[in-house]
Amino acid sequence: MTKKVKFMKKKSQNGNFHQTLAPILFLLPNLLIFGIFIIIPAFQGLRMSFMQWGVFTAKEFIGLENFKNLLSDEVFWITFKNTLVYSFCTVACLLVSSLFLALLLSRSKIKGEKAFRATFYIPALLSLISVGIAWRFILGDEMGIINYVLRATGNNPVGWLTDGTIAMLSVILVTVWAQSGYYMIMFIAGLQAIPIELYEAATIDGASAIQSFRKITIPMLKSTILVVLVLATIQSFKAYELIVTMTKGGPGYATKFVVQQVYQVAFIEDRFGYASSMSMVLMAVIAIFTLIQFKLTGKEESVE
Amino acid sequence: MKKLSLLMISILLCTSVLFAQGANEAAADEDVTLSVMWFNDANESDVFLEAIEGYLAENPNVTVDMQVVAFQEYEQKLKLMISGGNPPDVARVTNNHLSSLGTSLEPIDSYVDDIDSVKSEFMPGSIAFAENSAGELLAYPTEATANGMLVNIDAWTKAGIDVKELCKTWTWDEWEEAVKKVIAANPNMKYGLALDFSPHRFSTIIYEHGGSMMNADQSEVDFHNDGTIAAIERFDRLHKEGLVPSSVWLGSENPAELFQAGLVACHIGGSWNINTYNKNISDFEWGVVNTPIGEIRSSVPGGKFIASFKDSKNKEAAMDLMAAFSTKEGNEKYCADTFNLSARVDADVPYASNKDDFDTFAEDLKVTPAFTATEWKNSAVNKVYSYIREQIVQVLLDNISAEEATLNINKEAAKY
Repeated sequence: MTKKVKFMKKKSQNGNFHQTLAPILFLLPNLLIFGIFIIIPAFQGLRMSFMQWGVFTAKEFIGLENFKNLLSDEVFWITFKNTLVYSFCTVACLLVSSLFLALLLSRSKIKGEKAFRATFYIPALLSLISVGIAWRFILGDEMGIINYVLRATGNNPVGWLTDGTIAMLSVILVTVWAQSGYYMIMFIAGLQAIPIELYEAATIDGASAIQSFRKITIPMLKSTILVVLVLATIQSFKAYELIVTMTKGGPGYATKFVVQQVYQVAFIEDRFGYASSMSMVLMAVIAIFTLIQFKLTGKEESVE
Repeated sequence: MKKLSLLMISILLCTSVLFAQGANEAAADEDVTLSVMWFNDANESDVFLEAIEGYLAENPNVTVDMQVVAFQEYEQKLKLMISGGNPPDVARVTNNHLSSLGTSLEPIDSYVDDIDSVKSEFMPGSIAFAENSAGELLAYPTEATANGMLVNIDAWTKAGIDVKELCKTWTWDEWEEAVKKVIAANPNMKYGLALDFSPHRFSTIIYEHGGSMMNADQSEVDFHNDGTIAAIERFDRLHKEGLVPSSVWLGSENPAELFQAGLVACHIGGSWNINTYNKNISDFEWGVVNTPIGEIRSSVPGGKFIASFKDSKNKEAAMDLMAAFSTKEGNEKYCADTFNLSARVDADVPYASNKDDFDTFAEDLKVTPAFTATEWKNSAVNKVYSYIREQIVQVLLDNISAEEATLNINKEAAKY
């Protein structure tokens, strides 16, 4: 009897090993990479934000001084506002455009559906720097293709990249063009997971296409929508390469975002401590948005 | 037994001496791979490698591992390498880099027999950029650069203006009057002047209007003076009158591309543009002219250098390579093949063409006030570099006045 208990104990210990330690061992390489390249630098950034820190200047702990200076930094708040405007518009447009594309290309009878999907997805595969340079040649005031056509047809050219408001619209539209395909794939996967019987039952009950969309598609897609919202929001807050190659943040500060300001303060002005405090504020804002969206996701899942 | 002991000791001594000698030879011939970091204006990295072929042939144990980085990323990459304690052995740097990276550069003084003799081989302006506050030489000057005006000669001729003659005495007002005629005579030409989106190039206009970026004793940044304000106001007016394309300072178009496309009559840029235009322009004649006079005529001196770092792994070999590259022969070949102005006083560069253009740049450089080099060597001026550009753009956008811009720049620079 005692032997049997001992044997069971040993077995359960082995079971625990397989159930607890083995997954950890499998996760370990990823955890290590995440720790070394994300967690440790993040804490280092946090430490730097409380210091006066430059590559060629003495490092000194200054408490909350950097954050205090941020409050009165006019350029930082302009770039912060620009980032919010860009983020809100980009995420909204991305949500609508990628869902629209997914609806068109999911379970429809469009000929060459796969070719269309690939076509819309290709911009997502391109480097954002290449996208920015290509669009600069398209939208440039003097050398741009669109203005060339406008002039050739007797129309006035448009300041796509030299008028503040239009430049912001241009970078938003180019971002949407570049990233819609990526989120379209997510929506297609979400749409294909909705049982077709629901639509058949709705059709039998006399529901219109719009009613089916509102009462079946949207509710069933809510978790996908939230994932897209989270990813697109984080991505938009980190926008840098595309904007710098297209407008260099101009005209003036019109399309300058927080990440570009962080880069300038750190690498040109050699104020890594102050730049870190800007990054911390940006990280806090992204974290708040993500938390809100995760909360909503959590609620949604509990309802389901 | 005694004999045996003596024999053993003798053998031991002989072998140890032989081993020691062998070890010394091994140390002398030890393989060294020099990491070289470079950026290109045109073909400089290729020409550098050609110019050091002789040195590498004489030193077969030395090899070069060159990394060419885009100029936009260059300073950031260099700073990250320095802060990580892993700088390259040799790097190409600009005069701006010297002011921001100066403390991490290895002074050359202790690696040469006579540092004063080395310094005397180069232009005083270039040496001024390369010296630290203690008078130590931080880098070998490779080429001198100057800002100047490049013009579309065909367009000026079409308007019946001999620009090479006119430029000898023209003022900014006369330039404006003349360039309007050029635009009128050339239907495809839309603008009078393209100016690089760069405070360094813009400072050409500042100096010509009698302005400055620092106070009289060069102790602090001071943009708030009549000349600087007048320069910003003129630049703003030229934009408003459509003589300068807004797509360069308000957009992100490349002024050199506008010039090459024949859309602008003049381009204020650096002497390195000679190389680019030589390669790219074939459908019209272009040339370099003296810049218009405001209060004075001025260029802006600058330069490129090669340097090694305090934390470099192979400083001795790096210093040898840099010294070999900076000889009269090495420098002349490099400057001839890259179409650059030499920083050596004794250089007679055998340019394949464009000698007149280089001479014009040099003429403007000769009359440039000496304080311009000191101003561009100042680290605070370099730290507010992007801010200066942003403030000028704010004036162009009518968000602030020229005077407010100068005061804002002073306030920002006071933080450093």
